[in-house]
Amino acid sequence: MGLAALKVSPARADGDPPAPAPGHIGTAAAGRRRRMRDGVVSLGMLAPAVLVYTVMTVVPVVVALYLSLTDWNGFSDATFIGIENYTRLFEDPGISRAWVVTFVVAAFGSVGMLGLGLAYALQLKDRSRTNSFFRALAYYPHVISALILGFLWSAILGTNGAINTTLERFGVGPVGFLFDETLAVVTLVGVIVWAGFGFNVVLFVAALQTVPYDLIEAAQIDGASRRQINRRIVIPMISPVVTVAMVLNLVGLIKVYDIVVSLTDGGPAGSTETIAYVILSRSFASTDVGFATAQAVALMVVSAVLSVLVAALRNRQDQAAAN
Amino acid sequence: MALDVSSNLAPEARRRPPVTRVVLLAVLFVVMTIPAYLLLVNSFKSQHDIQSNPFAIPFGGLTLEYLEAAITSPQYNVLRSYGFTFFLVVSVDILCILFAGPAAYVIARSLKRRTQMLLLYFLAGTFIPSAALIVPLIYVLRSIGLGNTVTGLILHDVAMTLPVSIFLFVGFIRTIPRDIDHAAAIDGAGRMRTYWQIIFPLTRPAVVTVLILNSIGIWNDFISPQVLLTPGSGNYTVTTAIYAGVSQYSTDLTKVFPNLLLAIAPVIIFFVYMQRHIISGLTVGALKG
Repeated sequence: MGLAALKVSPARADGDPPAPAPGHIGTAAAGRRRRMRDGVVSLGMLAPAVLVYTVMTVVPVVVALYLSLTDWNGFSDATFIGIENYTRLFEDPGISRAWVVTFVVAAFGSVGMLGLGLAYALQLKDRSRTNSFFRALAYYPHVISALILGFLWSAILGTNGAINTTLERFGVGPVGFLFDETLAVVTLVGVIVWAGFGFNVVLFVAALQTVPYDLIEAAQIDGASRRQINRRIVIPMISPVVTVAMVLNLVGLIKVYDIVVSLTDGGPAGSTETIAYVILSRSFASTDVGFATAQAVALMVVSAVLSVLVAALRNRQDQAAAN
Repeated sequence: MALDVSSNLAPEARRRPPVTRVVLLAVLFVVMTIPAYLLLVNSFKSQHDIQSNPFAIPFGGLTLEYLEAAITSPQYNVLRSYGFTFFLVVSVDILCILFAGPAAYVIARSLKRRTQMLLLYFLAGTFIPSAALIVPLIYVLRSIGLGNTVTGLILHDVAMTLPVSIFLFVGFIRTIPRDIDHAAAIDGAGRMRTYWQIIFPLTRPAVVTVLILNSIGIWNDFISPQVLLTPGSGNYTVTTAIYAGVSQYSTDLTKVFPNLLLAIAPVIIFFVYMQRHIISGLTVGALKG
């Protein structure tokens, strides 16, 4: 490895006497010096990551906590106003609505991705060329930016979009996929599910491939139907992964922003505004920084609660696996 | 492995595929390919042809005119934004590996509780949605003189990638026997050299996972470049260029489709070639991160 030639250089850098020959490495003094030097080097190895992470992530969280208690507008001096921004969170009808939309999108989106993910994973679990083609087909939107997918779908579903112009030729429509207040939410959920269920398929296929085949064979010999086998054996066997996927979906969707911007831009009449959309495109854009940070803190808390849930579930799963 | 494959295949292969399977896969095929088909076909059609029949392929009327216009467009040029996005991805990838690797090594090898707690400190970062973090971050960046700078954006992106990267590296390094470290130490290597020359090459699978996870994340990121770089800076990523462009000409489908095609095509080509790595990388990242 060429290490023998390198052994002097670290010692020289520290101003230490030349590194002891390998046979002497066990002496107390040399050991202490080595530990000291290693300690300093270790700190140096940790420092860049800790520094960047702290300044770019931890400090902003602390700043957000402080700003959320002020009426700062981004320019003039900030005045401390206590928890007023937080009480506004509960009084503002726009915010309440955004939370409702967020939870509706997160709940239906998660369930939709999970259901379709499971249905297709059961179809595509066996190893074959056809199956891996269809898995990739279900998966591909996951690697494309949600913003771009949103624009693509709005070009397809808008009033001038491909679907409506085609329906028009048959004398039907136009259907307000993006212009009817209720239908727009359904469309948003639909596009999110379209873009995300493939990821669930892949998670479940990986889990399904670990289900031992003799269990299924035993059930077949006992005369169980395919449906019974799936419901009674296969799905219970992969339930830990189903739980993890569910919470991953929820945590991902609670902060949904990009696809809202490009698909509906919050419209029509604010019916598809999610909480992340309100924070970035309304409160922040209108220089209401104190209020925007209060919303940001609320979103962090909700997201953290959901994430802790993931950790707790995963721990339980690991323990179950260990027993 | 070979046994596994045959046992999995056996019951399916002999029978003819059941009707539900055929129907489900047909629906999947149609639903997943229609958007891609419309995108591809309409990128080569005139506004009139798109409007009158978006699904048709007018063999006489196909034209490269609009794609060419999108490629040479002076404003919000998606093709040109590849350059900046690529630069961003590479910078973040390099810095992330340089910072996360050594830190993960120290954490993985430490016997001190204090150092091991650092892993939790980093993991707490995965709880924070960037939509929530970005607003206060702007003021932090401004106060340290990095407001509206590419450096600020890169450092933010690096910070966003550190938690999961460190977590994956720590998990991987812990599977490497400590004897290897001791052997290197006896040969006189310091910790830094031990990490880069001995441990780092052994963590290659984890490095590949981290690179894929981070590259796709940064390439597709919209919030950070949109908020941290004002439009006046002239630096557009693929997503912010598309956003600026499509917001402006959303009714002109001869601009929307070719630009979206330019944004999506390279990602799809990359995906087709790297499918196996990408799918497993993103799955591992999500499950463990």
